[in-house]
Amino acid sequence: MEPILKTENLCKVYRSGKVELAALRDVSIEVLPGEFISIMGPSGCGKSTLLHVIGGLAQATTGRVLLDGNDLTQMSDAARTLLRRHKVGFIFQRFNLLPTLDAHHNIALAQHIHGNGFDPHRFDAVVELLGLKERLHHKPSELSGGEQQRVAIARAIISEPKIVLADEPTGNLDTKSSESVLALLRQLNRDLGQTIVMITHNPEAATYGNRVLHMRDGMVVDNLPGH
Amino acid sequence: MIGHLVLRNAVHRPVRTAITVIAVAIEVTLVIIVVGLTSGLLLDTAKRTEGVGADIMVQPPSASVFMAFSGAPMPISIGKKLAQLEYVQAVAPVLVQFNSVNGLDLVYGIQPDTFRQVSNGFVFEAGRDLEDANDILVDDVYARAKKVQVGQMLHVLEHDFHVAGIIEHGKGARLFVLMSTLQEMSGARDKASIFFLKCDRSDHAAAAIDEVTQLLPRYEVRPLKDYMSQITSSSVPGLDVFINVMIGIAVGIGFLVTFLSMYTTIIERTREIGVLKSLGASKGYIVEIILSESSVLCLGGVVVGIGLSYVVRVALLRIFPALSILITVRWMCLAGLIALLGGLLGAGYPAWLASRKDPVEALAYE
Repeated sequence: MEPILKTENLCKVYRSGKVELAALRDVSIEVLPGEFISIMGPSGCGKSTLLHVIGGLAQATTGRVLLDGNDLTQMSDAARTLLRRHKVGFIFQRFNLLPTLDAHHNIALAQHIHGNGFDPHRFDAVVELLGLKERLHHKPSELSGGEQQRVAIARAIISEPKIVLADEPTGNLDTKSSESVLALLRQLNRDLGQTIVMITHNPEAATYGNRVLHMRDGMVVDNLPGH
Repeated sequence: MIGHLVLRNAVHRPVRTAITVIAVAIEVTLVIIVVGLTSGLLLDTAKRTEGVGADIMVQPPSASVFMAFSGAPMPISIGKKLAQLEYVQAVAPVLVQFNSVNGLDLVYGIQPDTFRQVSNGFVFEAGRDLEDANDILVDDVYARAKKVQVGQMLHVLEHDFHVAGIIEHGKGARLFVLMSTLQEMSGARDKASIFFLKCDRSDHAAAAIDEVTQLLPRYEVRPLKDYMSQITSSSVPGLDVFINVMIGIAVGIGFLVTFLSMYTTIIERTREIGVLKSLGASKGYIVEIILSESSVLCLGGVVVGIGLSYVVRVALLRIFPALSILITVRWMCLAGLIALLGGLLGAGYPAWLASRKDPVEALAYE
């Protein structure tokens, strides 16, 4: 089976004047379709940078990133944006919902950007799956952390991306909400075959994935099976 | 969806929205009122000149159609020659002076008899006709504006006149004195600024114009039937420049306010822009949102501005009843378009900046 995501000797160097910081060093990973990968490591080890590069939000310095057969490192910003629109869903630690829109419109916004217009069947199915029916007309400020993250998950999957990239999705949640969100992600993976790459510093959260990658100082140092 | 997002953003920041809308409204009001004032002044002058009732107006060579700038270079004896023309029934010489004391007004120096023959005379609301050298007639609009009554003394052209009568407005100027008095005051003895001609029949006006042109080939001979169409802003030296400068200032206001408003908006919403980019929004999509927001605010300002123009008009006319302010649909649309263009230009740079934000940095913005 061809991997949905593959990086080859990926490097990312940040330069500030004469100072260089290697955030990623020779990272080579593969993610197969339907896998749920957790990436763990201490702060500053390059987890978020890896997520940004494989999601097309940032450019690699050297190396290759192949996402669903597309080489991101050879693409312009516009082309990566287009790819991200159709193939990647993001979930953030701080939810990052638009505060002026209610839950309904936050989710529908992703469909609008996707360009296929509002699909009520898909919308209803995702809302049902994530248990958001009663909360659709509430703004983010009126939702709990767990509810906000569920809205963010709905937004990430509404356009059926090839891969979901989750950056510490439980970082701002209490234990109960965290478990709920992680269970949802597992359900998406197991029942719908959604490929997920999740960053976490929580070892317990990491076990929800099929596989755990450990990073340190910009490198992948370990590759272990998950739960 | 973009419309919904734009409206929600506008409602979410009511103070910023209100300030931007008010600034654009002021811009629109400024344009409409300035143009309205100048158009109103010109139209009012033209209407009153047409209201004299003459068929033809004779002015010296190269005279401005706007009579206030004509001076008095024609010998009054020309009137006798004009009266002898076949199709000319009556000739009224008029000396025009521009009064800038206690307001801006034209003063007509007339010969009551000849002026009556051309204009069919004044309609008096109070008092009597000009008899004495220091008599002055004022029209009802002037009388209401300046609270003038018959018998009062009125200081005009650095001279004290006795208000002999109040007449119905619409016959040329608002103030009338005896021609001999005005000639004496202005050192233009036996001179006139204009000759108003009445034809024996109105359909003889063209033939009469030919006659006058043959008699006085270098003089300006104008049919009064289309006088209004001849009076434009370019008839008054510098007026076009004044209007354009005021429009430029108004556009500048709108541009700057919209620029600042949109610039602070994109700073405040940096993380939102990062989120949109993470969802796959293109640069064009981001620009569309910012420009749409600017357009909505400008349109709101245009609507408020048009309403405000009418309010300002009512207020100005209450304070200065003699003013004429013409608000036209054409200039409402133009003012709106100017405001919209200024707003889009003002939002252009912030929109461009927003589209180029690095998504990773934007997402990390606090």
